[in-house]
Amino acid sequence: MRRGVWRDGAILLAVAVVLLLLPKAYSNQMLLFQLMVYLALSQGVNILYGFTGYLPFGYVGFFGIGAYGASLAMLDLHFAPLLGILAGAVVALLLGLLLSPLLRLSGAYFAIASLAASQAVYLVIANPSLQNITYGPYGIQLPNQFNPIASYYTMVVVLLLAVGVVLYIRRSRFGMALQAMRDDPVSAAMSGVPVVRERIAAWLISAALAGVVGGVFAWQTSVFYPDAVFTLSISIFAIVFALFGGVGTLLGPMFGTVVLFGMYNMIGISDPQYFQLIYGLLIVALVIFLPDGVASLLRKKGIHVL
Amino acid sequence: MMRFKRYLWTLASVAALLAMGGGATASAASAPAPKFITIGTLYAGSGNYATSSLPELAGLKFWISQVNAKGGVYVKAYHKKIKIRLVDYNDQSDPNTATTQYAQLITQDKVNILVSDFGSVLTAAAVTVAKEHKMVLFDPTGTGSSFFTPPSPYIVLTSLPTSAVWPDSFAKYLIALGKKRVAIVYATNDFDGAQDATLVAALKAHHITPVYNNGVDTATSNYTVIIHNMAQTHPDAAVEFGYPNNDITFFQNLSASGVHFPFLFTIFPGQQLALLTQNVGAKALSDTFTYPTPPLLAYNKGITYGLSLNAFAKAIKPQIKSAPNFLDIAGYQAGLVIQKTLETSKSLSQLDLRAAAGRIRFFTLDGQYKLAKSGAQLGELLPVAQLQPTKSGGVAPVIVYPQSVATGKAVATH
Repeated sequence: MRRGVWRDGAILLAVAVVLLLLPKAYSNQMLLFQLMVYLALSQGVNILYGFTGYLPFGYVGFFGIGAYGASLAMLDLHFAPLLGILAGAVVALLLGLLLSPLLRLSGAYFAIASLAASQAVYLVIANPSLQNITYGPYGIQLPNQFNPIASYYTMVVVLLLAVGVVLYIRRSRFGMALQAMRDDPVSAAMSGVPVVRERIAAWLISAALAGVVGGVFAWQTSVFYPDAVFTLSISIFAIVFALFGGVGTLLGPMFGTVVLFGMYNMIGISDPQYFQLIYGLLIVALVIFLPDGVASLLRKKGIHVL
Repeated sequence: MMRFKRYLWTLASVAALLAMGGGATASAASAPAPKFITIGTLYAGSGNYATSSLPELAGLKFWISQVNAKGGVYVKAYHKKIKIRLVDYNDQSDPNTATTQYAQLITQDKVNILVSDFGSVLTAAAVTVAKEHKMVLFDPTGTGSSFFTPPSPYIVLTSLPTSAVWPDSFAKYLIALGKKRVAIVYATNDFDGAQDATLVAALKAHHITPVYNNGVDTATSNYTVIIHNMAQTHPDAAVEFGYPNNDITFFQNLSASGVHFPFLFTIFPGQQLALLTQNVGAKALSDTFTYPTPPLLAYNKGITYGLSLNAFAKAIKPQIKSAPNFLDIAGYQAGLVIQKTLETSKSLSQLDLRAAAGRIRFFTLDGQYKLAKSGAQLGELLPVAQLQPTKSGGVAPVIVYPQSVATGKAVATH
């Protein structure tokens, strides 16, 4: 157990050191920031899909509402940015609570229902009739709060938090209960696992994490329209990155994000059409040959993936 | 004595620092001129904004080819002509991709000049990045009012006034015509929403409350129900504010619905007449009112900088294989503003470039260029034109308001 704790600490330290040193070696800090956003979001998807089996296509809804919650707290309630981000997380948590009945669905039904819910949230936020509350379709501006350096380092902390939460879940009774429920909810319930409570807890942790990430994203971006924080591509990227590496592990989603997001920025910036072709082929190959991600390949060879 | 020594040390240190500073200035002035002036921009090769973004890029590329054919642009900071090099990335109409790519242009490609993509949504991504890196953003068509809220020292709107100003003449025209029942549908984005707000405010100031005023999602693909809802209010004027895709859908659905509005206004027939005609036909556009922009608003006389409209249309045709539209001109106009900025800026520092862009006063094929302190464009005006049928079966714009620039009178709609 003690060895495990040391190893977790070493992982967190390594992640922190890499992210703090990266801007010294590579000056496109915006790209590094977006990498961290997807690293954290893929861990959020991991918590939900990897540990409970619920695939949230509408995950972007929590990200977007977090961005708006944080921004409105800063603009209207004059919260300091960090407090605003916390408010964004609370709003995402409340939305998660409101949408928790969706967990009664499963499989494709849940995926589609969560997608519809995220679009409903987007349409409410972007509704011109609510302009006095949400600024409607005309977007958010945070010129007085704009601080790209502080928001970058805040994102480092948020990512470490996300990694820490996944490490905790993997080792805790809570995580084991989630995995038992994912594999066989009836047996888990009969073994005394409070299925509904634990599932909702995972859902809320995942929602709050996306909300925090959305809040930091809003702080970093400072000028954005609703479609920038509710675009479906955010959900799709986070899900594909997590699936590519392998959900249910810590390193799988991180590996998937670094490889695919790196590829996106190596090929996708200059030749997006080639990237889309490669990306499409990769996803098809993944679904056919490696449905459990790259991590499963290593597991088959007897290599333990954290 | 000790205090005197410390005083001497301080003086010596200040002198040394000044000497180092002076040396640095001298070395900057004598620094060799770069081989190229690098311009970085993005374009949407696919997605919602592709039809507008691609011609804008074509206009900018045309300007670069013109300048390079003459040995480059004169750069006052180096007292010589330097060729232009373009670095352009495809953002696929995605603002999040655009954010990374704008940062890539600044931090990795080290561009000297940053030009934003078409429209407010893709320009919003650039505003933040440009501000972060203290880089001037030459903005051809991102007219969202929020970008120009002071302090905004890093943005230069090169072509059009901010969107909230667009309907000024149009609102006056409606009031002058005595329209009392105005029905408005607008796409819910910054560009169209701002125009709706301005129009409604102007009408209400004359005690006219629109009989219909509703927003629809910019991605709306069917206006049929909305058209019938508007018709049920019996408007004497119908207004549709949208992007080109919205206008096309609106006209297609209007033709299919059998509904007829006695007065109809839309935005993009005045900017992209060929695209609209190709998609909905000249008959559907006949008698529609719009904002005419160049080339429909033809500036051939009084040009003080760059090509006249006729010369431009002739010169660009081999590159774009068709007659230019407004966005080709907007791209070219961005190039002209950059050219004049480089010709007059005392250095390539971003604040000097911004100051030089603010001092420019010229009249181009795009009209009067005059920049406000906020970086917004003040010079150009947007009159009202009607697309009237021609003998060849097409439509041609006739400017009907204001009287000072009118080229004809409005005809009753059929």
